[in-house]
Amino acid sequence: MEELIVKLKEILGPDKVLTSLEDRIAYSYDGTFAQNLPDVAVLPESTDEVAVVVQIAAEHRVPVVPRGMASGLAGASIPFSGGIALSLTRMNRILELDEGNRTVRVEAGIVTADLQAYVEERGLFYPPDPSSNRQSTIGGNIACNAGGPRCLKYGVTGDYVLGLTVVLADGRVLETGGKAIKNVVGYDLTSLFVGSEGTLGVITEALLKLIAKPQFVRTARAEFPSLDDASRTVNAILSAGIVPATLELMDETAIECIEEAMHLGLPLDVEAMLIIETDGSDEEAVVREIEAVARICRENGARAVEVAQSEEERAELWRARRSVSPSLARRAPNKLGEDITVPLSAIPEAVRRIKEISARYGLPIVIFGHAGDGNLHPNILFDKRDPEQWARVESMVGEIFDVALELEGTLSGEHGVGTLKRPYMEEALGPVSLDVQRRIKQALDPLNILNPGKVLP
Amino acid sequence: MTNNDIRKDEYLHCIRCGLCLSTCPTYQLTLKETDSPRARVALLRAMREGLLERPTDYTAAQYFRCLLCGACTFICPSGVTVDRLLELTRREMAELGLMPHPLVALNERVVEHHNISGEPNENRLMWAENLPEPPSGIGRERAEVVYFVGCVSALFPRSYRVAQSFVEVLERGGVDYALLGEQEWCCGYPMAINGGLDQARETIRHNVEAVRARGARLVVTTCPSCFYFWKHTYPVALGEELGFEVVHSTEFLADLLEAGRLPLRPDLPEQVVTYHDPCDLGRKGGVFDAPRRILAAIPGVTLVEMEENQEGSHCCGGGGNLESFDPEMSRAIAARRVRQAAGTGARVVVSACQQCERTLFNAARTERIRVRVKDITEIVLDALESRDQ
Repeated sequence: MEELIVKLKEILGPDKVLTSLEDRIAYSYDGTFAQNLPDVAVLPESTDEVAVVVQIAAEHRVPVVPRGMASGLAGASIPFSGGIALSLTRMNRILELDEGNRTVRVEAGIVTADLQAYVEERGLFYPPDPSSNRQSTIGGNIACNAGGPRCLKYGVTGDYVLGLTVVLADGRVLETGGKAIKNVVGYDLTSLFVGSEGTLGVITEALLKLIAKPQFVRTARAEFPSLDDASRTVNAILSAGIVPATLELMDETAIECIEEAMHLGLPLDVEAMLIIETDGSDEEAVVREIEAVARICRENGARAVEVAQSEEERAELWRARRSVSPSLARRAPNKLGEDITVPLSAIPEAVRRIKEISARYGLPIVIFGHAGDGNLHPNILFDKRDPEQWARVESMVGEIFDVALELEGTLSGEHGVGTLKRPYMEEALGPVSLDVQRRIKQALDPLNILNPGKVLP
Repeated sequence: MTNNDIRKDEYLHCIRCGLCLSTCPTYQLTLKETDSPRARVALLRAMREGLLERPTDYTAAQYFRCLLCGACTFICPSGVTVDRLLELTRREMAELGLMPHPLVALNERVVEHHNISGEPNENRLMWAENLPEPPSGIGRERAEVVYFVGCVSALFPRSYRVAQSFVEVLERGGVDYALLGEQEWCCGYPMAINGGLDQARETIRHNVEAVRARGARLVVTTCPSCFYFWKHTYPVALGEELGFEVVHSTEFLADLLEAGRLPLRPDLPEQVVTYHDPCDLGRKGGVFDAPRRILAAIPGVTLVEMEENQEGSHCCGGGGNLESFDPEMSRAIAARRVRQAAGTGARVVVSACQQCERTLFNAARTERIRVRVKDITEIVLDALESRDQ
């Protein structure tokens, strides 16, 4: 290891190679409660430097764990015990904006919100909007195929990736895709790396598709005395032929937590709220759609529906949704946020069964999420310092996954597998799929140095 | 909430979401996790849980590289008062003998000389010597208001202008005020944030007695750090009510202007300015409106806000004694803020803090950015009718 560190320092310079215990602690965690110290953290500033790091790692058979802003919720960027934590945060340049073709080429470490602000100033739009867009990078979003509220209408991160620059496990640099929208020459390697969580290669640059920015947006919030009614309304809206930009659900525990933390004046006597947004370039159509949404909500049991009349009111409606996840920390020292998806018609049943798990184990589960695409975030609140509680949490997670699979859904919609969902992969995918995935991993990373111990069991 | 009450295990409430990285000036500068609030809290936790058993100078450096600007506390969704936690960790580092040398020296100067520059404390009124007339507040034994000048404006010639302008405005407004002169001691804030709150208790007691002896109902400071420390820490450190109010000069001036006690020139020029919220005054002290009320009261002044303003303001780089510990980093952060200011199109950056004014001015000069940097007291003085009219 010492030899490797000396080599890294020689090539990258000492400023980009961090070995103190303090620095290693700083690079030991992500947005979960998991933690592992790397031997060294490196901060390369170009694809060439990343390639050198991976080459040296390959020579020394040392694990490399790529990392953006480490806000992931599945443990994917937690270092292997020891090895190299490879931080891409300093590779944050915009390399080329092609306004005519509506594409942008960026380095992997650019913060998603910074990219969004940059293109929106120019009338363009990069839709994928993970709630962590201020503290996550495009590289991390691609590696986990991040979603977000807007993905119901606009699709997930992977739908906007036209091409990638990837450093392979032997240090070679692979270019995939390109500006052509249709491209069937060879296998779709771009898609292979999307969602690969750093296990197949290190994404260093991306060519992204942009669209024209929607000119008009309307947002509504509906309060439902019954959670079942709220869940049913989701499908009723979509069945009516309306595709809202977002369709978000929050249950009563989520509402209570937000209200406790933020004092927004949310109703505490309802079982659920939906936040629904319509957007587009035709103002009349957007307004007509939100009015139809409001009507459908009322017909399905909403007690009140509020439509934002100004940008401020809209921001206010969103503040509630954006604060959910963090607000939970005030309730209990730890939360485990799951990310299951189920077919739309199964949402009411999924919610009912998860509530039942919560009651049976005696630990609160907060449910919120992108109900419009069947992606729910049941969050278990607990105190990890109490081993008995942690044991209960582990069983509860298993049962939540069972619910998802029994209802023909799956383990994760947008957070990824990392380490936290790895034990459930076999059940979710079956032996054939796992075997194919293992062969892909072996083909691309025969030494198993790229983010080992993640994704595949 | 006063920043003085904090739960001992508050670091456990950090959920490591990373949102603080998006507003932390030191992280934004280096893009290195170790320079982030999340990492600083993680290191504290590692010390508590035994992962980091023996803190070293390098451990301590992570806390002294922090500006204590509080941007992380403001954005923290879990409600962790991060800046306060980090300030307390500085104190722990100091107790372990890990206070960095420049800061040890700074605290020793304050103990010995009662000011941060280490010169004789009787020099505290040198700024008044080249005024056309000596300020009426000098030597006053009883007064309604005490103007607490603060070390920087009193002893750093570049910043004399702040004290000079403010006193001139007080004279025009007919305010009954006193200056403490050499009886003014450093407020104690720099010592406290270096980790030496106990060292500061004597100076706190001394200053409070000096104000009480003048029977004043009000202490006014032009320095936001003095203001914050007097207002929020003094009563707690003494364990008693002060018996007088503490306000910042912007609050005092806004009231004077709105009461019509400061006659303005009729022929004021049009100027576009932007306002930089000092961290100790704004985000930490809660004073956002007063400086904006002042700018609104002066005809011809148009205020354009920077994107990061009020509670979301970006530190000037001069916070947390970073300038004494890591001047290069301090300068780089100042340069970022000046570029933001220039980006608004304003030709003048107004602040309400001699330290912000100094760091921003120096950054504008070294970066060759064409904006003027002014303290708000100068803006007010420039707008007043001249004395002989």
